[in-house]
Amino acid sequence: MSSVPISAYLTLALILFCIGLYGALTKRNMVIVLISIELMLNSVNINLVAFSKFGMVPSITGQVFSLFTIAIAAAEAAVGLAILIALYRNRKTVNIDEMNTMKH
Amino acid sequence: MENAWIIPLFPLLSFLFLLLFGKRLKETSAYIGMLFTLLSFIYSLVVLFDRFSNPTYKAEATWLTIGDVQLTAGFEINQLNALMLVIVSLVSFLVHTYSKGYMHGDDRFHVFYAYLGLFTFAMLGLVISPNLLQTYIFWELVGAGSFLLIGFYFYKEEAKAAAKKAFIMTRIGDVGLLIGMILLFWQVGSFEYDEIFQAVEAGSVSAGMVTLTAILIFVGAVGKSGQFPLHTWLPDAMEGPTPVSALIHAATMVAAGVYLVAALFPLFTASETALMVVAIIGAVTAIFAASIGLVQKDIKRVLAYSTVSQLGYMMLALGSAGYVAGVFHLMTHAFFKALLFLAAGSVIHAVHTQNIEEMGGLWKKLRITGPLFLIGTLAISGVPLFSGFFSKDEILIAAWAHGNTVLFWLAVIAAFFTAFYMFRLFFMVFSGNARSEMKNVHESPSVMTFPMIVLGILAVVAGYVNTPWFGTFLGDWLVDGNEALGHGHIEGPAWIMIVATVVSLLGIFLAWMMYGKRSISRDWLSSRMPIVYGILYNKYYIDEFYQLSVVNATKFFSYLFHYIEKFLVEGIVKGITGVVQGLGRIGSKIQSGQIQGYGAMAFVGLALLLVIFAITGGYLK
Amino acid sequence: MNEAYFLSILVFSPLLGIIILALLPKNSETLIKFIGFLATVPTLVLSLIAFFQYRGGADLNRYDVKADWIHFGDFAEMGLFKIDYELGLNGLSLVLIVLTAIVSSLAAIASVHIKSEWKGYFMLFLLLEIGMLGVFAAENLILFFIFFEITMIPMFFLIGKWGYFEKEKAAYSYLIYNGLGSAVLLIVIVILFARAGTSNIEALAQLMAVENPNTPAPISESLKFGLLISLLIAFGVKLPIFPLHTWMLRVHVQAPPSIVMIHSGILLKIGAFGLIRFGMGIFPEQFQSLAGLLAVLGVINLLYGAFLAWIQKDFKMVLAYSSISHMGIVLIGLGAMNEAGIQGAIFQVVSHGLISALLFFLVGIFYERFHTSTISSLGGMAKGMPITAGFLLAGALASLGLPGMSGFVSEFMAFLGLFGEMPVLAAIGCIGIIMTAVYLLRAVLGMTYGKAHREFAGITDMKSVEYVPVLVLTALIVLIGVYPSVLSETLQATLETIMLGLGG
Repeated sequence: MSSVPISAYLTLALILFCIGLYGALTKRNMVIVLISIELMLNSVNINLVAFSKFGMVPSITGQVFSLFTIAIAAAEAAVGLAILIALYRNRKTVNIDEMNTMKH
Repeated sequence: MENAWIIPLFPLLSFLFLLLFGKRLKETSAYIGMLFTLLSFIYSLVVLFDRFSNPTYKAEATWLTIGDVQLTAGFEINQLNALMLVIVSLVSFLVHTYSKGYMHGDDRFHVFYAYLGLFTFAMLGLVISPNLLQTYIFWELVGAGSFLLIGFYFYKEEAKAAAKKAFIMTRIGDVGLLIGMILLFWQVGSFEYDEIFQAVEAGSVSAGMVTLTAILIFVGAVGKSGQFPLHTWLPDAMEGPTPVSALIHAATMVAAGVYLVAALFPLFTASETALMVVAIIGAVTAIFAASIGLVQKDIKRVLAYSTVSQLGYMMLALGSAGYVAGVFHLMTHAFFKALLFLAAGSVIHAVHTQNIEEMGGLWKKLRITGPLFLIGTLAISGVPLFSGFFSKDEILIAAWAHGNTVLFWLAVIAAFFTAFYMFRLFFMVFSGNARSEMKNVHESPSVMTFPMIVLGILAVVAGYVNTPWFGTFLGDWLVDGNEALGHGHIEGPAWIMIVATVVSLLGIFLAWMMYGKRSISRDWLSSRMPIVYGILYNKYYIDEFYQLSVVNATKFFSYLFHYIEKFLVEGIVKGITGVVQGLGRIGSKIQSGQIQGYGAMAFVGLALLLVIFAITGGYLK
Repeated sequence: MNEAYFLSILVFSPLLGIIILALLPKNSETLIKFIGFLATVPTLVLSLIAFFQYRGGADLNRYDVKADWIHFGDFAEMGLFKIDYELGLNGLSLVLIVLTAIVSSLAAIASVHIKSEWKGYFMLFLLLEIGMLGVFAAENLILFFIFFEITMIPMFFLIGKWGYFEKEKAAYSYLIYNGLGSAVLLIVIVILFARAGTSNIEALAQLMAVENPNTPAPISESLKFGLLISLLIAFGVKLPIFPLHTWMLRVHVQAPPSIVMIHSGILLKIGAFGLIRFGMGIFPEQFQSLAGLLAVLGVINLLYGAFLAWIQKDFKMVLAYSSISHMGIVLIGLGAMNEAGIQGAIFQVVSHGLISALLFFLVGIFYERFHTSTISSLGGMAKGMPITAGFLLAGALASLGLPGMSGFVSEFMAFLGLFGEMPVLAAIGCIGIIMTAVYLLRAVLGMTYGKAHREFAGITDMKSVEYVPVLVLTALIVLIGVYPSVLSETLQATLETIMLGLGG
């Protein structure tokens, strides 16, 4: 089991994070953006779990924290989707480029 | 003598009183002014007689402390000061009296008397100052008094310009005095006359510094006494009421320059160069102003140029180490020139014009003014037995004895000019036929003629206090106990007196030929030499020259600064605000409202921070 | 009265006025103006009491107030990094506080000409007064800075709301320049506080006087020099020093005359006060090396202002440039670095405060009647308004340094000082004395003398309430001119301290 090195976990997390970041910054569809943000969150979770096993002082805290993060992420996704639906009802679009009312 | 400080305070009281209550008093103000100046005069006489028997008195108190240096204020009664006190308070009292008639009916009668009080206060304060700083203070105050009185008819544009010019021209001189005074202070450590003289005598001030400070102080005297090249304000100052011209621009304030040089005489004698400068400026002014006086048409302007010329004489005397001659002429001039101005005022009062070409034949109408004017004219022309003769003689002897041959002959020519233009004035005003429009000409009231009579008597007898024939009382007394002031009377060759007499009689004769008998045409000069006439009539174009050079240079600087302000200073400000605004615009463009843009920006920022962190080694290093 | 509270009451008594004004109805004009004036009176009375007690030989230290205020961490036990509420007086600040109190009261009288929103006006006005008093009374830099900022905000609104046509522009200009000045000042103060661990002015001066002071962080010579330059910029904006002066021209022209009385009379003086108190007080050695620069800047200010004042068409602009020119004399005096010069500079601060207050009050009087201050359109005013014209002339004569008035004493001493150190520069500066006479007479005679340019029928001369400020100011100007010891003796102890710091 211990044959998988920490660098593999971290690389996976990095790749996931980059995919998520790319998606969050470039996609026009807000649903995709939300999904991308979930990806980034999960890459962080991977990091947390990996460090809880391979960190300098291995402990359970990391895994507990990742559970917290998952819970928070679920809540956030729910709120995010709710806002998205509200916006869709108002604007009839989920295109993020048109969501610039904060500028004004 | 211990209470001599009170002398200047009387006119000050008059000033303050009239300022507060003058409006209610109206023409009664005259009595207030007369009363206070009379008190000053009486007390001055007491002080003068006291001074005959007692030594110089000086009292001072601290006025201002700067570090360890105490600047003092006080008064000193030496011979010169005591004499000046009497001259100033007497002329002032007479002018106060005269003005009661002359200014009668003026709306601002009380203001006039208030200003007169202010001026008299300042002038009396000036002549008892024991130190340079106090002298400077009163020096400026007399200037302010003169300024107010010249501009008394404030609604006249000419009066406004003349007042401004007088203040500014004298101020230019005053700055010279200020610089000289301060430089002396840093050399000597004090403004006191005594200490300055001691230091100069002891040689603790370098020769160059003595010359420099003496000349700078003389610049102040040049401004105040209307010497070339700062003389232009004095003729213009004739815009003021005539009694003012008599008091300020003939007898007292303009003589302050001469007084200053006399008061600082030991400083000037310590530097041959400084003396030479004084003598040259004096002689040049004497002949220069006299030549302008030859062709002027305004009665007061002729007298003004003659004043400038006579002051030049006094400067020449002082510059030729003739301390007594200078002060003596100052005294006699004060009397006869005040007389001439008051008489001219009486003429103007009668005929309501100042243009002498419009006058004539007034001898029969003005039976008191006419002879008095004649006395003054004779005195100023240096006709024997009148006061001006003796004092002018002293000056010529002093100039000759000091070896200033060229200046001596300049002075002789100026004497010829003086006799000529003064009698030209006299003949044009008083001889010939009366003009038809001058039917209702009356002699002035007695309140005006009385002061003239007093001055007329003085213009005759004042010379006898110092004559080669009856003793040189004044001269001996003035220099008594003070080696630095030179000898009392200087013996000179007898031919000088004869030359002076002949020259003045020649001038009178020529004037009589042209304007009395009219055997020579009046237009002799203007028709033969129109260019010379033009130059003289336009006062050598000095005013125009100043307008072109000084005023334009000032304008140049002003507009230069204006454009610097407008383009450079404001430009820099605009540039800076432009940069700030530009940055703001870029910033606001970034704020697109695109959430993804913000996210990208945050990510780039984070990445940059990490890179910097990695390169520098971070916070913990 | 308990002396411990004396100074606090002196500084904060206008607050009472603000509270009362807040309770008054908005449109009871006379009452508001009366209360507004009345609120400045306690300060005036108290400052005069302090002044005469000091003249009578009392010690100024007894007014010192000190109370714990702000602590940072555990350093307070070591006496470091704590900011106290401390007010105190010395000769210089006492003189300036008296000046502030007098000018504020008179400006409150001058505010009768304010046309609208009296309530807000007077509340801001009184807040401004608190700020000015506090600036002079503050004993530590942080407190000084707080009061310094308190003066700025009311001033912004007073200019921007009650000024003339371009008031907003003037107000912003004021805010930006002074805001930048404040920012620089704040940087200096924070650096000093962080490195020295104290912000008390006297403690700082003592620390800087020692070779290697025991401070939490070192303060190198070059840092000191940099701090001084920053101070010069910060206060140079206020004074103002060329080329940082343009904001002040706009304020002079656009603000209501009563506010310009305060602005020109006192606010500009904070610059000079700061330079003397902090520049000379805290960095005497470095200040000495700047002497030449200051003197040159002073001469530039003097001449630049004078030449430009000569060609202005608006009398307010003439006075604005005249202020620049006269502040040059302050710099000249400071640049001389000797007793005569510094005393001259302080005299000039007071003298110009009084004279410009007088002149701007007079501007207010005829602006009220003619709605213009253009010189050419006012010609011949002496005919219709002889008393106003007379005082205007007196003010101009005082301003151009006529002996017997305060302007002469200060000008004379400043030049006396500079001639002792840099005679050539001083001689160049003397051109300024001539130019001052030239531009002032041109402007004032242009307005008062000559042919009447307008109809004066129906125009009343000064009214009764208007006499008060004019007479008080003229009397003070003459008093200082005739008997300067009234000031110099008050300043003596402070001057000795400064000279001691400068090393002799």
